[in-house]
Amino acid sequence: MSSPSPHTISISHLADFKPPALSRAWVSIPNPNNIPLIATPTSDKTVRVYSLANFTLHSKLENAHDRSVRSVAWKPTSKRTSKMSVATGSFDATMGIWHRHEQFGAGSIAEQGVPNGDDDDAIEMEISSLGEAKPHRGQMRDDDESDTSTAEDWEYNIVLEGHDSEIKCVDYSPSAQYLASCSRDKSIWVWEEIGEDGEDEFETVAVLQEHDADVKCVCWRKDDGEGEVLASGSYDDTIRLWRGDDEGEWSCIAVLEGHDGTVWALQWEPEVVQKRFAVSHGTDNESEYIRRTARLLSSSADLTIRVWTKVPSPPPMNKPSYFSHGIPSTMRPGPSEETWKCTATLPKAHTLPIYSISWSQLSGRVASTSSDGQIVIYEEQTRGRTSVGGEIEREWVVIGILEGAHGPYEVNHVTWCKRYDSGRKSDSEEMLVSTGDDGAVRAWSVKETTQAN
Amino acid sequence: MTNVQVPRHFHLPPSATMAVDNANPTILSASELPSHRQRRFIKEAESKKHGIRELLTSKPTYASDPFYLSDSSDTDSDDTTAEPIDEQEIYDLLAPISDPEHPLSLESLGVVKLQDVHLTSPSDLTKPAALSHVRVELTPTVTHCSLATVIGLCVRVRLDQALPPSYRVEVKIKEGTHNTADQLNKQLADKERVAASLENEQIMALLRRMMKPCLETAEVGN
Repeated sequence: MSSPSPHTISISHLADFKPPALSRAWVSIPNPNNIPLIATPTSDKTVRVYSLANFTLHSKLENAHDRSVRSVAWKPTSKRTSKMSVATGSFDATMGIWHRHEQFGAGSIAEQGVPNGDDDDAIEMEISSLGEAKPHRGQMRDDDESDTSTAEDWEYNIVLEGHDSEIKCVDYSPSAQYLASCSRDKSIWVWEEIGEDGEDEFETVAVLQEHDADVKCVCWRKDDGEGEVLASGSYDDTIRLWRGDDEGEWSCIAVLEGHDGTVWALQWEPEVVQKRFAVSHGTDNESEYIRRTARLLSSSADLTIRVWTKVPSPPPMNKPSYFSHGIPSTMRPGPSEETWKCTATLPKAHTLPIYSISWSQLSGRVASTSSDGQIVIYEEQTRGRTSVGGEIEREWVVIGILEGAHGPYEVNHVTWCKRYDSGRKSDSEEMLVSTGDDGAVRAWSVKETTQAN
Repeated sequence: MTNVQVPRHFHLPPSATMAVDNANPTILSASELPSHRQRRFIKEAESKKHGIRELLTSKPTYASDPFYLSDSSDTDSDDTTAEPIDEQEIYDLLAPISDPEHPLSLESLGVVKLQDVHLTSPSDLTKPAALSHVRVELTPTVTHCSLATVIGLCVRVRLDQALPPSYRVEVKIKEGTHNTADQLNKQLADKERVAASLENEQIMALLRRMMKPCLETAEVGN
């Protein structure tokens, strides 16, 4: 192992979300639709939704699950809608679908979150809305005062049953077409919402049962032209990739073996990283990069974080025509198997199981957290070519470490999250949000310190 | 599926009608056991001398447990609070746990042994995030003991509940003492499985029954 590189990043406490849960909190998931909210499921059978604008409780999802709520997923929306939808997965083996109608008039929280039209969502908003972005305080304070009434604002619409034991993770596909859930019963269920929006009709499109033990996590990959691919990590130490074919048949397309312990978390490579390290096409136009398949990041109880890359498949064989004589044209090759290999292991920084990883969509940096209470930030840096015409080599380095993020408690989750609070320096500034066994959800600012090179 | 099944990896013990795994376990005699009780009683007797005011201010019973006193640095007589937790005290937490099959303690069955309790304290105690590691190796009474999981779970839960949050607990089956030790070790190390099993009322009822003697032992000191 190379000598420890000087840390160039400082992680400092920004705020605690208030009030905290009094028992273990599992994860905190930021809303993906530019609404400044983050959802935290806890072992007290509820989900707390906090405002990212002022770090206080916005609303609560409660009175539905009989046991810990372990996982939560916001439904991604491509267009502006007044409805927010959330899926919850619980140790009671059920999944719930919840809705909440937000007033999207002038001064609503969604608009306050995006004061400048720096993304598609905001542009659309500016056309459709008359209001200016206003300070969020008034609205949020209203919400706090009406705390008792917020419980009924989230409607618990339907319950999806099917798993035999605790649900560990739920995830919406980026297109929102599919919803995946996984459980200790070793299975993954893929659900598809059918019918009109708001009818809440779900159909099971696949039950995937090839893992040998608990499935701990599921994570969807954005459609890159080959359909949305689902990755799953398991107590059986393996990662599997799944895809549906044209007929809607789902099958395992790859098994990724190498971890020597439970796979706790998975993350797909964000587009920003794919672009950064893309093979140059001889133009400066960054949209013309050659698209490779996104890499997959995994963290495990074996104390490693690994990067997995698809091995390019050989070009389709042009068999002589006599070879294909007699093969009916309807006969097609089975589900194409892919080969993936572990192409990098991040520097070891944790001493206990690594429960969570987050790959920033903005900076491309990776954050991880563990039972050891640390938050660690890594960066993939270019090392240059070691041979003429060879590939540009890269190396992962640790650029920041924070010890005891939740005091003596275990940290269960960490995520990069866009800042919406008044203290941010720019609209695209990111922070880290950690979630711990103490029930606390904490926000951390990440700052560059002096470059030590 | 509202009717949640008992997690199959944390089996309940066989019912009374079923044959026990080890009907005739070896029971250690009192002279073979570490002399922890005496030590504990001396400590508690000492604190009693000065502690009448404490009793009158109606502290909850668990306050007699030295670990819960770590925050109350204002009490005058508590030289016990400054003393760090050692292997002996961890052993004392586990020794009275009763076997789910026999009305006997894990100590007298030789499942928990003082020499198999390992404690690693942080070198720098001033660091607020410094963690201590506890490793307890269990010796099942027979190599096919189907209750090893539930005993291991009970040991883990007892330590998770009694030790401060800066203690990371590892419960293992001693090498060569069980057929499926690796599987058991992996289960007992899985925080999510442990958490889920604690929400299972049947399992919790059983664990409470096993841990009942622990509470009785603590009360003797009062």
